[in-house]
Amino acid sequence: MVSKEEIMKIAILSKLFVGEDEIDGLTEDMDKIIAFADTINNASDEGTDFDNINNLSNVLREDEVIPSYDREKILANAKDSDDGCFLVKNIMK
Amino acid sequence: MSESKIAKLHEMLVSKEISCKELTKQYIDAIEKDNEALNAYVTATPETALETAGKVDEKIAKGENIGLLEGIPMTLKDNISTDGIKTTCCSKILEDYVPIYDATVWNILKNQNAVLLGKTNMDEFAMGSSCETSYFGGAKNPHNVNHVAGGSSGGVASAVGGNLAVYGLGSDTGGSIRQPASFCGIVGLKPTYGAVSRYGLIAYASSFDQIGPITTSVEDTAIVFDAVSQYDEKDSTSQGRKGEPVTATLKNDIKGMKIGIAREYLDGVRDDVKEAIDKAAAVYQSLGAEIVYFDLPALKYALPVYYILACAEASSNLGRYDGIRYGYKADSYFDVNDMIKKTRSNGFGDEVKKRILLGTYVLSSGYYDAYYKKAQNLRGTIVNAFQNAFNVCDVILAPTVPMTAFENGHAVSDPIETYLTDICTVPVNIAGLPGVSVPCGYNSKGMPIGMQLIGNTFGEAKILNAAWQYENAADIFKPTDFGVQL
Amino acid sequence: MKYEMVAGFETHVELATNTKIFCSCTTQFGGEPNTHCCPVCIGLPGTLPKLNKKVVEYAIKAGLATNCEIAEISKMDRKNYCYPDLPKAYQISQFDMPLCEHGYVELSNGRKIRLTRIHIEEDAGKLVHSRGNTLVDYNRGGVPLIEIVSEPDIRTIDEAREYVEKLQLIMRYIGVSDCKMQEGSMRCDVNISVRPVGSETLGTRTEIKNMNSINFIAKAMEYEFNRQVDLIESGEKVVQETLRYDDVTNTTSSMRGKEDANDYRYFRDPDLVTINVPRERVEEIKATLPELPAAKLKRYVEELGLPEADAQLLTKYRRIAEYYEEAIQGTKNPKTAANFIIGQIFRHVENEAEKEAFNINVSAENLNALIKLIDSGKIRMNLAKSTLDKMLETGKKPSELLSESDMAGLDENTLNDLCRQAVKSNPNAVNDYKNGKEKAIKSLVGFVMKNSRGKADALTAESKIKELIK
Repeated sequence: MVSKEEIMKIAILSKLFVGEDEIDGLTEDMDKIIAFADTINNASDEGTDFDNINNLSNVLREDEVIPSYDREKILANAKDSDDGCFLVKNIMK
Repeated sequence: MSESKIAKLHEMLVSKEISCKELTKQYIDAIEKDNEALNAYVTATPETALETAGKVDEKIAKGENIGLLEGIPMTLKDNISTDGIKTTCCSKILEDYVPIYDATVWNILKNQNAVLLGKTNMDEFAMGSSCETSYFGGAKNPHNVNHVAGGSSGGVASAVGGNLAVYGLGSDTGGSIRQPASFCGIVGLKPTYGAVSRYGLIAYASSFDQIGPITTSVEDTAIVFDAVSQYDEKDSTSQGRKGEPVTATLKNDIKGMKIGIAREYLDGVRDDVKEAIDKAAAVYQSLGAEIVYFDLPALKYALPVYYILACAEASSNLGRYDGIRYGYKADSYFDVNDMIKKTRSNGFGDEVKKRILLGTYVLSSGYYDAYYKKAQNLRGTIVNAFQNAFNVCDVILAPTVPMTAFENGHAVSDPIETYLTDICTVPVNIAGLPGVSVPCGYNSKGMPIGMQLIGNTFGEAKILNAAWQYENAADIFKPTDFGVQL
Repeated sequence: MKYEMVAGFETHVELATNTKIFCSCTTQFGGEPNTHCCPVCIGLPGTLPKLNKKVVEYAIKAGLATNCEIAEISKMDRKNYCYPDLPKAYQISQFDMPLCEHGYVELSNGRKIRLTRIHIEEDAGKLVHSRGNTLVDYNRGGVPLIEIVSEPDIRTIDEAREYVEKLQLIMRYIGVSDCKMQEGSMRCDVNISVRPVGSETLGTRTEIKNMNSINFIAKAMEYEFNRQVDLIESGEKVVQETLRYDDVTNTTSSMRGKEDANDYRYFRDPDLVTINVPRERVEEIKATLPELPAAKLKRYVEELGLPEADAQLLTKYRRIAEYYEEAIQGTKNPKTAANFIIGQIFRHVENEAEKEAFNINVSAENLNALIKLIDSGKIRMNLAKSTLDKMLETGKKPSELLSESDMAGLDENTLNDLCRQAVKSNPNAVNDYKNGKEKAIKSLVGFVMKNSRGKADALTAESKIKELIK
C-alpha cells in the first residue's frame, strides 16, 4: 500500500503540488500502478545484469570549440530576462 | 494493393503532371477542410510549405534532378524540434515554445526539400495510447471519427491515414508509432534503437525512444527509413542503418523464411485480432515461408518493466520544465521554488504528472532496488529471450494491439487497463528491436486490425521484406475518404 | 578533555579543456552572461550530451598523479535535483563507477591522505540575486569538473592547508587545471567532526560547503572545530547538517530548510554510453605525465644539493621548475641559478598569478649563458648580479650588455698591480689594519674591486693585500 505521506514526499521531490482534492484519487491510482509494477517481484528470475541498451562504448567528442549561440536566441524562449540573464522575479504575494 | 505514394508523386512531379506548388496547395486546402474533423494538426505551416514547393518547382523547371523525397508533402510529430516552428509536445508547458535548432531527422529531410505541412497531434509528452492526453484534444481516426487515432503519434497516423500528408515521422517509446498506425489501418515502423538519431526529439524515455516513419505503404516506409537512418555525431547512442538500403531487398522472395509466433503474444488478445493474425500466418505459408511456434515467457514482465523504466527516465527528463528558460511560467508565486512548483503543477496534465510521480517513486531511496534495479535486470532477461528466439526464426509475427481503436473518451478510465493496450508493443522497445505494424484486416465495425513483424537488431531489411510480401499478397489496405484523393 | 579534528575534503576542480564537458561551447572564464551557451548546455528539450574526450584524459591524469587506480569500465549517471542553476534538473556525474579510486596525497609529515575517488561531472550555472530577483547565467553550466573525494584523514588545520595546496600544485603541474580559487576553478567542501584524542569512533559530522580560499577554509574549520567542541562539552549534540561559511562574521550557518531533504535518485544516464579505459591507454597517459612536484623536490635536494626551502620555492610552479632546469643545463653549480631566480628574478613576479605564468624578461637560455660566463671565470659574481638586473630590465642577452673587456676576465699581473696600488694610495687604511682593525682590509679590497670594475675575485684580492702589508 502506498500512503498519502509517501505520495506527498515524492511530489516534493518531483516539484509538484498535490492539492487536497487530488490526493485521495491520486493515491488510489498510484497504489494500483505500484501494485502492478510490483508484479515484477514475483519473477523467480533474478534477471541479467543490464545497463546499456546498445552496448556502445567510448563515443567521444574532440575538444574543439564551436561558436556559441547568439544570446538573443538563447534567451528567446524565456518569459522574463534582464541584463542578458534569465530572470525569476521575486513576487511577494 | 497499396503502392508507393512517394514514388507515384515523384513521377508526377518529374513528368510535370502536377507542380509541387499545386500538390502542396491541395494538401494545405485539405488540411483546412478536414483538420477540424480529424484534429491531426496542431500547427500548420502553409507558408514555409509553399516556399519549399516553389524551390522544388524551380529545380524541375531548370531540368535538375530531384530526389525521391523532394517536394513530397509530409508532417512531423510535435515532439520533433523544428527551428523557428512551434514544438509543443501537445503540453501546456510548451504551448508557445519555439526551438532554436533543428532535430537531426528534420535537418536531413529539410536538406532534401521535404515539404513540411505542419506539426501533428500527440499524447502529451508522448505519454498515452489514445492521443487523448493531448493539451489540444485527441486526434480522430480517419476510418471513423468517433474512434481515437491511437497514440501517442495519433496526429501523424490520423494525418497520413486521412490523406492530409503523404508520410510523417512519429516517435515510438512503447508502441507510439505502431499502435496508431494499426488503429488507422496504415504502416508504421519503429526502427532499431540507434538506427535513427534522437537529437532534437523531445525525450520521454531516452533508452526506449526512437523516431520512425508512418506511411500508407510498406514501400514508402522503406523509402523514408532509408533516408533518415543515418549516423549522427550529436547522438552518442546513434549508429545509423547497417547494411545496404532496405529498399534494395524489399521485394525479395521470402521462400523458406522462418516466421515465428510466440504464444504469449496471443494471450488476452481479442478474437477478431487473433483471427486476423492466423490468416496472416496462412498468407505467409502460401508465400513459402515456414511458421514456427515458440514460447517467450519473459514477456509476462514486459509491461511492468516498461512502465517502471520508462517512467523513471521520464521523471528525470521532465525535470527541466521549470519555467525559467522556456515554456509556460506561473505568473504569481512567493519565491523561485514556489514558481517552479506552480509552473509544473499547472503546466503538466494528469497523465504526465502520474508518470513523473511513479518514476520518482521507483528511483527514490528505499525503492530503487525493488523496482528500478529489478526491472533493469528483467530488461536484460527479455533482451536475452529475444536473442534466443532469433535462433529459431527470422522474424516474429504478433498482433500490434490486442484490440482495435476504442471509441473517443473510452481510454482513460482505469490506468492499468489503459496500459494493457501496450502489451504487444513494449517488448520491442525494451529490447531495442525493430518492429513494423502492417494492416492485416478489419473488425465487424470496419475498424482496422494491425499485425506486427519484429526483427533482430538492425534487421529492418528483413521485416520490411516480409511486410511488403504480405502487403502485396493480402491486399488489405483501404484508403479513407478524407483529404487529398490522388 | 582534549579533542581532535577529523576532516575530509570534497574538492571540485574545473578542468582546463577548451570546451565544455558535453557540448562545444568555450569554457573561458568571464564573458558576458549567457554568451557561452548553446541548446545543449541550457538544456533545451531534445538536446543530447556528447562527452569531451579530453575530460576523460584529464581525469585519468589527475588520478595517476594522485596514485589512484584507474577504472577499466566507467559510466555517467544522473544526479537529480531541481535548482535554477541546473538547466536539466539533473547533473550528469558519476555515482558507483568513478573513473579513479583508492589514491592518496602524501603530506610533508609523512601522513598519507587517502583519496576515495575522483569522478567527472558538469558544473552548474551561476545565480545572481539582485533587488530580490534571481538572475541566471549559464556560461559556467557544463564546464567540466573533477570531484576529488578524500577519506576523513585530516587531523589539523595545517594538514588541511597543505592538502589543498598539494592538490593545487599537482593539478597545475599536470596541466589539468589552473586551480584559481578566486575564480572558482577550485572549490572545497569540508566534512568535519571532532572526537576525544585517542578515540577511534567518528563523531557526527557537518559539511561546510563551497569555499574558495585556503584562508577561509582554515578559519571555517577552526570555527567549526571550536563550535562542535563547545556543543559536546556543554552536553549538547552536533547535528548532521550542511553549513555555509560567512567570511565577514567568521561563522558557519545552516544552509537548507527541511523541505529540501535531498534524494538524488541516481541512475545511469541513458543518453551516454559506457566508458572503457584499456590498460594501454592508461600507460599512454602515464607516459605524458611530467615529473611530479614531490619527485622533483626530492631530486633537487638530493641530486642538485639545493636547500629544501629553495627547492620548495622552485618546484611550486611547474613553469619555474622548467625554467630552472633549462637555466642549469651544462652549468657547474646548480645553486647559482637557484640563487639568481629566488633572489633577483622573484622580485619581478609578485603574486601567485605572475609566478604561475612566469613571464619574465630573461629567457632561461640567457640566464644559462650568464651562468656559463661565471663558470668559465670570465665574469665575477658581482658583475653577474648587476648584469642580471640589466637583463631583467631590457630583456637583452648578457653578451649585449657586457663589453669585450668585461668578459676578458682579470689576469694575474693586473691583479697584482691593482693590489699594490691599493696599498700605496690608502696609507691610513693600511695603518688601521696594522693596528688591529681587521675591518680596514675591506676598504682596500673595495679599491681593487672598484678599479677592476668588479672583475677581481674579492677573496684572492684580500689574501694578496694581506701578503703585501705583512
